[in-house]
Amino acid sequence: MGTENPGRQQFPARPAATPFAAPPQNVMPFSSSGPLVRSESSGFRSTLPAGHQPMMPPSMHMDGSQVSGFRSPPIARFNDPSVPSPPTSSVPATVGPFQRFPTPPFRSTAQVPLSHAPPVGQPLAQPPAPSVSFRTQPQIPLVPMGSPPQSLNSAPPNMNVPYSSPDSTVPAPRPNFQSSFPGHIRLQSNADSQAPPIQSPFSAHQGGYAPAPLPSSSPFLAHPGGYVPPPPVLAPMGLQSRDQMQHFGSGPPIGSIQGLMEDFSSLSIGSVPGSIDPGIDPKALPRPLEGDVEPKLLAEMYPMNCDPRYLRLTTSAIPNSQSLAARWHLPLGAIVCPLAEAPDGDEVPVVNFASTGIIRCRRCRTYVNPFITFTDSGRKWRCSICSLLNDVPGEYFSHLDATGRRLDLDQRPELTKGSVEFVAPTEYMMRPPMPPVYFFLIDVSISAVRSGMIEVVAQTIRSCLDKLPGFPRTQIGFATFDSAIHFYNMKSSLTQPQMMVVSDLDDIFVPLPDDLLVNLSESRNVVETFLDSLPSMFQDNMNVESAFGPALKAAFMVMSQLGGKLLIFQNTLPSLGVGRLKLRVDDLRVYGTDKEHMLRLPEDPFYKQMAAELTKNQISLNAYAFSEKYTDIASLGALAKYTGGQVYYYPSFQSATHGEKLRHELSRDLTRETAWEAVMRIRCGKGVRFTSYHGNFMLRSTDLMALPAVDCDKAYAAQLSLEDTLLTTQTVYFQVALLYTASCGERRIRVHTAAAPVVADLGEMYRQADSGAIVSLLSRLAIEKTLSHKLEDARNSLQLRIVKALKEYRNLYAVQHRLGGRMIYPESLKFLPLYGLAICRSKPLRGGYADAPLDECCSAGYTMMSLPVKKLLKLLYPRLVRLDEYLLKASTQADIKDLEKTLPLAAENLDARGLYLYDDGFRFILWFGRALSPDVAMNLLGADFAAELSKVNLYEHDNEMSRKLMRIIKNFRDSDHSYYQLCHLVRQGEQPRESFLLLSYLLEDQMGGANGYVNWFLQIHRQVQQNA
Amino acid sequence: MVTLWLWLFSFFFLLGLLCTLAFQLMCLVDLEYDYINPYDSASRINRVVLPEFIAQGALCFFFLLTGNWLTFVFSLPYLCYNVRLYMERRHLVDVTEIYNQLRWEKKQRFLKIGYVILLVFLSLFWLLSSISVEDE
Repeated sequence: MGTENPGRQQFPARPAATPFAAPPQNVMPFSSSGPLVRSESSGFRSTLPAGHQPMMPPSMHMDGSQVSGFRSPPIARFNDPSVPSPPTSSVPATVGPFQRFPTPPFRSTAQVPLSHAPPVGQPLAQPPAPSVSFRTQPQIPLVPMGSPPQSLNSAPPNMNVPYSSPDSTVPAPRPNFQSSFPGHIRLQSNADSQAPPIQSPFSAHQGGYAPAPLPSSSPFLAHPGGYVPPPPVLAPMGLQSRDQMQHFGSGPPIGSIQGLMEDFSSLSIGSVPGSIDPGIDPKALPRPLEGDVEPKLLAEMYPMNCDPRYLRLTTSAIPNSQSLAARWHLPLGAIVCPLAEAPDGDEVPVVNFASTGIIRCRRCRTYVNPFITFTDSGRKWRCSICSLLNDVPGEYFSHLDATGRRLDLDQRPELTKGSVEFVAPTEYMMRPPMPPVYFFLIDVSISAVRSGMIEVVAQTIRSCLDKLPGFPRTQIGFATFDSAIHFYNMKSSLTQPQMMVVSDLDDIFVPLPDDLLVNLSESRNVVETFLDSLPSMFQDNMNVESAFGPALKAAFMVMSQLGGKLLIFQNTLPSLGVGRLKLRVDDLRVYGTDKEHMLRLPEDPFYKQMAAELTKNQISLNAYAFSEKYTDIASLGALAKYTGGQVYYYPSFQSATHGEKLRHELSRDLTRETAWEAVMRIRCGKGVRFTSYHGNFMLRSTDLMALPAVDCDKAYAAQLSLEDTLLTTQTVYFQVALLYTASCGERRIRVHTAAAPVVADLGEMYRQADSGAIVSLLSRLAIEKTLSHKLEDARNSLQLRIVKALKEYRNLYAVQHRLGGRMIYPESLKFLPLYGLAICRSKPLRGGYADAPLDECCSAGYTMMSLPVKKLLKLLYPRLVRLDEYLLKASTQADIKDLEKTLPLAAENLDARGLYLYDDGFRFILWFGRALSPDVAMNLLGADFAAELSKVNLYEHDNEMSRKLMRIIKNFRDSDHSYYQLCHLVRQGEQPRESFLLLSYLLEDQMGGANGYVNWFLQIHRQVQQNA
Repeated sequence: MVTLWLWLFSFFFLLGLLCTLAFQLMCLVDLEYDYINPYDSASRINRVVLPEFIAQGALCFFFLLTGNWLTFVFSLPYLCYNVRLYMERRHLVDVTEIYNQLRWEKKQRFLKIGYVILLVFLSLFWLLSSISVEDE
């Protein structure tokens, strides 16, 4: 951040284009430091020569000055990719200390960005002694979050470097947020094949230091491609110093002259001629070890925007022309999670306009929002989206103060907050608000009985009866089916539910249509009696058939009047009546052919038609599937997909092992706050338009999503396109409006509004990119592609897209900076290649016949289509932590924060003496190293410790270590309630379980035909270089 | 004289084909501009898809019987395309995905209309030439 200020000053002119030209206030925080920096830097420079001249090349300064440095002629010489790093080893070391001392304050600022640095560095972090000494310096304390990360920085590649200000457009960044730094990223790490860590530090500004006499220069000159790294030992120091230098770089006034800035991160990939080495340091690659980082930049620019948990744009800078948009090869769009869970104290305020009626724009129907402006002394307001002048209704009138603000602004949350909820009057109702309705359709054929599913389901529903939303209006109903359909009359006047069997599957009719769906509070006793007796009722059922289709139709008939939520529990392949399916996985020859995608589509058109009918009648379907055999999730899932539902799949369900997971997830499904009979529309300003939508819903008109039920665990994606060739506005506004019936019976409209600047510069778009949203959108597009193409095509097109984007970015900077063989990418997208790999290796895209059962692939596909950004990113790059050290620590109070050190997902990080936990948000895997001390295993597993782990359940034993472990697990689970992570235990070397459970999910390792991270990165790099 | 009658017959057939296609296209355009909901649009289109296919097949057969080899060969690709769609079960519009397929469905029907118009001209040409032959 510190850098930012200086930067800004230096390049004031530049950003001008953007609307957000930095508001002064943003700057403020830093301002103090800003001046400091400069002065310091200058001072620093002078001293520099004195002290270190011999060693230190001007380059150091250069860092600061880098900008200017760039172009200078001498540079040219060094332009080789090799140039950057070499000096590092020796130079930096010396430099580092020196720099630090003189400018402590400075450093603090500089470091901040560093803190961001990708975790990558961590492993490297254990540096040689010398570096340590440096580190101890003040910097650590200064950096708030930074210290750990800082070490990371040292890790080369991290593009962590904060940008320096060049783009004034960007407002001051928060320290913690990397991307926010407008400026450049100077760090480049040149990872050399051989000397990994070291190199990175120097990279970016070749010009700057090139001239300097580098001791090590020879090495790099020699290898144009990459340079040979200096001794590893030094590296850490070098890196750090480097980082610092870079920051400085922005500081010096010199830079301003040229106004040239770069903001990219780079990694040099050198192939030393004749070496087999891939030419890349695996440790230097960027990794999202800190999880998802929400873009804070936009929020600072427009403080009234809704929180990113509700709406995330793939880039916060909207291109101003179609040609610019076409050069942005990544998807342009938004991820919307309208009902995301808000932390306590940050709930969405509810506004009731009562008699005034909801205030909306006459023309474009935009809801009143913080971005509208009042004119004509408060009698008119101008719509932010279409700029139409509207009258302010009499009851809503308020005088304006001298600055044009309404006097009652602080009592009007709708004018100050990006997210509000309006209570909708009767014009917004097609019919009286529906009560929450839950209908359960349960398979009671023999396999369902044997797996124990019925029992768990009945118990869970019973335990949730009190917590169902919408008391006392909630309605509930049940039907079961095997080869016939059983209905239950639960009229409140009965003491016992009455069962009615319909076995004519061709002509379904519903007996007693009024008493099958009953009010829960009135019929509570009957419902409880039914649930208590349900498991025993069918315990001797030997029926193997499943009349799922007819049962679904019957459930539809029962619910069609009201709508609501339909939960189906399916244990076998539907075999009778309409919608029966056949075992289509048997034909292995289909895989890899053009017909392969048919396997991932519903086999029978009945399912899509039914889904359309369900949605039309406001019924949302959640599918729970349990079979160990093929159940055609592709077909069942289509029902959930088009009705705004969700698929839960428990392969080979056994109540003893999976019961807890089902219990948790079913009760979450039943009790979470749900919005009923909803529709959602995203409006946006003139010239842009949302053209395609991706997720679990059905479109009711071109831009209206029909969502029979929505909850906090669902997110929707939409892609934008530009309608006009040129946008003339400075800002584009987006407004998400979700009209729904709350469980309490009130009709409401939840409105999220956000603004984003329009830019004319591609670099700015990259700078403001949100990789989380991009990855989420890309994964949805890739999954959709698997439904019409081969898996391989889907993977290739994803890869191509990433390559195109990086190539475009490279073209933006390559010429002026002569990057040679270095891989460059925007700081904001440093994880894009990794996530791209993760998507390609995720279940829906990987599953050939050998890789994963078709049902698992399909259910993963349906799930990923609706996951919010954070959960998706965690699934794509799961967390791997080492537990044994923590467990062995004596202190009982050791805080769980120690565990936040996430490891890269590679088998080489698994130490045979360790105990590791892998957490992808859906399951835990506890990996016992071969050489793990037996005490630990004994403490954790009790008497089972020698048994085969696949049969062992983890539970708490009476010792401190076990309690600690359970506490950790609980803690991890608490961080995300939407799914229950079942704990699988596996011992090192226990094949094939180990590779099937864990090893094949270690993303960075090569596995079968799939690329490892290093190879993938090289592959992308090579493709970017082609014709670049 | 027979030629004229035959021609008239095929002409009305083609006209009918043109109408069904135009009707489908209209439904799609209405859908795009939000004058109609996807359920109605899909069911209207789907109602005329099979008649369209059958009419086209019958026309081909008719050309074959009457010995109009050239026109028959010309309408053959259209027939093959229809048969392929039918075999792949993609001939009906899918109400759940109708918006995503809108562009493709429209394009497909535009092309078909163009094709049918071409056929009309071709058969007109055939009529004129055969009449002139008769006259001689």
